[in-house]
Amino acid sequence: MTVTGALTILWYALAPFLWLMVTGLLLLVVVQVLAHLRGYRLLGYRCLGANLAAIAIGLSGLWWIPLFTNSSLTYVATVFDWAALIGAVIGLAVIAWLVLSPLSYLLRVRQPSPP
Amino acid sequence: MSRHARDPSRLDRRQFLKLSAGAGAAGLLYSSGLQARSVSTNARIVIIGGGAGGMAMANRLSRRLDGARISLVEPREVHHYQPGWTLVASGVWRPEKTMRPNSRFVPGGVDWVRQPAAGIDAANRKVELGDGSQLDYDYLVVATGLQLNYHLIDGMSPDLVGSHGIGSVYASIEGAARTRDAIDSWIAQGSGKGIFTAAPTPVKCAGAPLKMTFTTLSRLEASGRRDAFQVEFMAPGAGLFSQPYVNDFVKQRFDDQGVTRRHHYRISAIDPQAREAEFTFVGPDSEFTSHHELREAEFSAEGERKVVTDYDFIHVVPPMSAPDFVKASDLIAQDGPFRGEWLDVDIYTLQHNRYPEVFGIGDVIGAPINKTAASVKAQAPVVEANLIAQIQGQALPLRHNGYTSCPMITGIGKAMLVEFGYEDNFAFLPSFPFIDPRDESWAAWVMKDRMLQPAYYAVLEGQA
Ligand SMILES: Cc1cc2nc3c(=O)[nH]c(=O)nc-3n(C[C@H](O)[C@H](O)[C@H](O)COP(=O)(O)OP(=O)(O)OC[C@H]3O[C@@H](n4cnc5c(N)ncnc54)[C@H](O)[C@@H]3O)c2cc1C
Repeated sequence: MTVTGALTILWYALAPFLWLMVTGLLLLVVVQVLAHLRGYRLLGYRCLGANLAAIAIGLSGLWWIPLFTNSSLTYVATVFDWAALIGAVIGLAVIAWLVLSPLSYLLRVRQPSPP
Repeated sequence: MSRHARDPSRLDRRQFLKLSAGAGAAGLLYSSGLQARSVSTNARIVIIGGGAGGMAMANRLSRRLDGARISLVEPREVHHYQPGWTLVASGVWRPEKTMRPNSRFVPGGVDWVRQPAAGIDAANRKVELGDGSQLDYDYLVVATGLQLNYHLIDGMSPDLVGSHGIGSVYASIEGAARTRDAIDSWIAQGSGKGIFTAAPTPVKCAGAPLKMTFTTLSRLEASGRRDAFQVEFMAPGAGLFSQPYVNDFVKQRFDDQGVTRRHHYRISAIDPQAREAEFTFVGPDSEFTSHHELREAEFSAEGERKVVTDYDFIHVVPPMSAPDFVKASDLIAQDGPFRGEWLDVDIYTLQHNRYPEVFGIGDVIGAPINKTAASVKAQAPVVEANLIAQIQGQALPLRHNGYTSCPMITGIGKAMLVEFGYEDNFAFLPSFPFIDPRDESWAAWVMKDRMLQPAYYAVLEGQA
């Protein structure tokens, strides 16, 4: 298959979700930029709540990713099935963390510091 | 002429390809694009049928041939993604998901003749059209798909699908949706007998009758009253599927899931009002490639044994053949197993056995397996290369290995990615080393549910 062929397939596969991906990407970029402008550093800031929430969102994928494909976790059976699902769960958790960590920073910065 | 420069979705995709190429893949993109040089010719090429095979050929030939006059004879405005019909009939997809305008795929520079072909005069190289006019050709690609012969089952017609407990996923997209409704009603009834049939001829997507049985079993199990339903499968032959491993697997799985199998029976008549179906015993050696062979076997069987049985739901799979106008032409097989029923091509080069300027692709050809869109994907580059070689007076360079694929849905949510070809008794030809065709998996289901439709559209555009 040519690269054009692969891209054509990718295009048709992603087209229905393009709005979702663009919205998600915009949200990520806006939150990251705002937080960076206020002094946020990706690895320099720690928030247990945001970390746990990102892990929870990632793990929720175990339930809804198969459901989203009209299937269920019980049919995730082969090694490749699990590798694909775990990869998706990790990706989801990372994206959630990239949004939630700067978001929690922004919320904290906004709170007035005690006198 | 069809033009769709203003179709926004097409422009979007083109922009996407450009962007993606610019994002790093440009070298590869253009080297692959340049691999096949264009060929100058003023040949008149007629492609009959703009389904999977015809549309792929229109795109491929228009890209490769410079100066050729290509006509695509296709009466339909809407392109149907037929592999999605099984998911529609199983209640998984909405029908709209399977439809796209044909205008989206017809390439610029190709003359889209929006009417049916009514005849082929192979000796004089003419195609007769529905309005009585004629198209002359130097080269012909027959890509008409096949014909559903419901009329060979007494009392049956595609209009009955959706009423009187009758379903048939093959009938049309509307038929698939009505099949889903008929299954819904049967399940809502809370009990009763369902009969699933198979045809005594080659059929498109030979796995579809089995998939319908499996997805219905999933739904019966989900209803919590599986034991209240009887499920039977009536097969005209000893086997259920041509690939031996899958055949054994499906038989075993049917047995495990409480499906009663009866072999060597074909559905011969139906009485919708009485909800009764008649099955005719077709003899023990019943593996047929055409209806002719079947009738001969039936008539030579001692006494005609018939079984009449009642049902609450029946899934009817009609006998299939090349369309009547192809059968009436000299292009039809004159002898051998496909005699009178299928296009007479060499199953490897896809060139007509008697008319070298004629090629066949897709469901219409006489071949032991291969009536799938996946086969079309494998056949299209072969027909492209061989037709161009024929134009140039060269030896035909490519051979089709019989590749076909059927994601065998074994329940709603899981499938086996079954791919095989002609050789070694239909040995597996897996595309992905990490997906074993013998395993039921979520990944194979995801391919069916999410990836094959995009891949199909790439085939139509001649990109895959
Ligand atoms: C229920 C179902 C499930 C399937 N599942 C799968 C699957 O999972 N995987 C898979 O690979 N394949 C599957 N298929 C099979 C696949 O859809 C076909 O094999 C494929 O579409 C064949 O392509 P074709 O071009 O030969 O025929 P088609 O795609 O049927 O196209 C034939 C075209 O010819 C046109 N035509 C007909 N008569 C005339 C005429 N007289 N003049 C001009 N034009 C005419 C028609 O309008 C049509 O557009 C399935 C099919 C069905 C019905």
